[in-house]
Amino acid sequence: MKFGFFNLMPWPGYPEPPRVYPTPNKDYDPIKGQKLYHDYIDLLVHAEACGFDWIGCNEHHFSPYGLMPNCNLIGSILTRETKVSKLAMIGNLLPLSNPIRVAEEYAMLDVMSGGRLIAGFMRGVPHEYIAYNSPPGESRARQKEAAQLIIKCWTEPEPFGWEGEFFQFKSVSIWPRPIQKPYPTILMSASNEESAVFAAESKAIMAMGLISDIGVARNNVDIYHETAKSNGWVPDIDHVMMGASTCICETDEEAHEVFAQALDYFHGTLMKPTLDALKLVLQAGYFNAQKAGASYDNRLDKVTAKKTIQEMIDAGSIICGSPESVVKQIKRFRDELGAGRLNMSMQIGDLPIPVVRKGMDLFRDRVLPHVRDL
Amino acid sequence: MTFERHQVALYTGELSYFVAGEGEPLLYLHPAGGAMLTELVQGLAQFRKVYVPILPGFDGTPRHAGVDSIVDLANLAAEFAALVIGEAPDVMGASFGGWIALWMAALHPKGVGRLVLEAPAGLRFGMDESSLTPEAARANLFAHPQKAAAIAPTRETAIANGEAFRAYADGVFVDAALVEALPTIQSHALVLMGTLDVTVPVETGWTLTATLPHVNLSYVYDAAHAAQVDQPAACLRIIRPFLEKGAAFIVASREYA
Repeated sequence: MKFGFFNLMPWPGYPEPPRVYPTPNKDYDPIKGQKLYHDYIDLLVHAEACGFDWIGCNEHHFSPYGLMPNCNLIGSILTRETKVSKLAMIGNLLPLSNPIRVAEEYAMLDVMSGGRLIAGFMRGVPHEYIAYNSPPGESRARQKEAAQLIIKCWTEPEPFGWEGEFFQFKSVSIWPRPIQKPYPTILMSASNEESAVFAAESKAIMAMGLISDIGVARNNVDIYHETAKSNGWVPDIDHVMMGASTCICETDEEAHEVFAQALDYFHGTLMKPTLDALKLVLQAGYFNAQKAGASYDNRLDKVTAKKTIQEMIDAGSIICGSPESVVKQIKRFRDELGAGRLNMSMQIGDLPIPVVRKGMDLFRDRVLPHVRDL
Repeated sequence: MTFERHQVALYTGELSYFVAGEGEPLLYLHPAGGAMLTELVQGLAQFRKVYVPILPGFDGTPRHAGVDSIVDLANLAAEFAALVIGEAPDVMGASFGGWIALWMAALHPKGVGRLVLEAPAGLRFGMDESSLTPEAARANLFAHPQKAAAIAPTRETAIANGEAFRAYADGVFVDAALVEALPTIQSHALVLMGTLDVTVPVETGWTLTATLPHVNLSYVYDAAHAAQVDQPAACLRIIRPFLEKGAAFIVASREYA
């Protein structure tokens, strides 16, 4: 089984739950922020020494829960600071981006890292569409068109033009081209049925970043496999990646205690405005109840709705405990979901950096030896 | 769009007003320049029934006895809304009209729906005093003065309107009582500020955003104090979704493209 270390780069110490979307930024301290970026990047680099197969970061906007409006900037540092780990950009938000720019920046990362890029083609969550003034109802169609255009940018042997619904370019020929052939490994969100189908059609790694119910996750995996089969290919376990907020401490008690506090801050303070934003999107008439039910924010709501740490572990939403408990929980992901990859989001909320670093070391010394060969 | 002129008897005297359009009502409170039926006001009347009262003392109308202050004008506007419109309308106020609209929302919370404030006067924090000379005040109104040519009042009317404004404003640039009342205003407000506005400084927008409980601030690019004259289409692009969708207007939609 393969494992990734993922860092959202959250802002610690926001004074109180924001009352509006978007979170006012007057409480951001750039001097504190400078140190934080360096500390977080140190953790990402340390992940390679801890045996993680990839190092992950992602893109979010207008929110203290994730301080990477452009994860490619962090990725470019990692191309130099690491040697063997894959670099997973999970990922650029295609509906909001110029696909040519994404193709170019991802190609740069792939070349600079020697072909280690995992290219996330993500759709984003509702508050991102508000942030970038993109109609939410267009997000999936924009993602699909952008994904195809990016692959064209990477693979076309001659300059080409593109006349799409959302993107038009008269003549394209990006420099550099990526190292990986035919193109970099692609990863897509498959957190609902429609996304799972698109990921399978695209022969991308399917990724579920937030599981509110392990049965629902299993259903998405089945749909992914069925769609792949009907499209003439068979995914292996490396094509199925689950994500989970993760905390590893010496004992279950310690892990439960520190993680409960960090998750409380993460969901109750940092994430609150994104839930408010979802309500605005619904109020504006986008998404029916079914689609809203499958949305990230709605799952988030279910994950956090007065659940204990143990209940979240049972639902497959988080991984938390002593190294021995974490081994058991990882085996469950493998057995029940057929997941060959686990993306471990370990810098959650205001979890102190030394606690995260200690957890990474415990993963290397007391977890990985028992799960590597699953 | 043709506006009809009517008159109504209020408690303090006769009040003239313009009205046009169909749909949900919108009460428009004019700036110190008078009740100009600008391109924006015409545009608003394409989807709203727009009422434009001519405040006493402006555009050749007589002052009303006992209506001497901004608060008095806010009460008069509320009386007008109750009598003529008959329900709590959304209210837009431009500059001087924005000052009145804020007081109207503070004093008559059940009489005001959503609130659009175009560079509201009365909260001119950080004002540069050099902007107060008559020449500077005129020069600072527009980034594109040619757009105002068609709606400019006669010189005599402009002078009389200026006198009426000064009488009501009474030399106040920052209305301390209003500042105190801002946190009590429950109407959701959209504040529009021209990027080139030096008449109502940017601090006004910041204060309103930090103080009003429900508020969105939006800058109008390449516009001075009279943003609706400099950039009517841009103003309409923001105001219409705000009036129709409230807080959810920040969610992008092709409806308004």
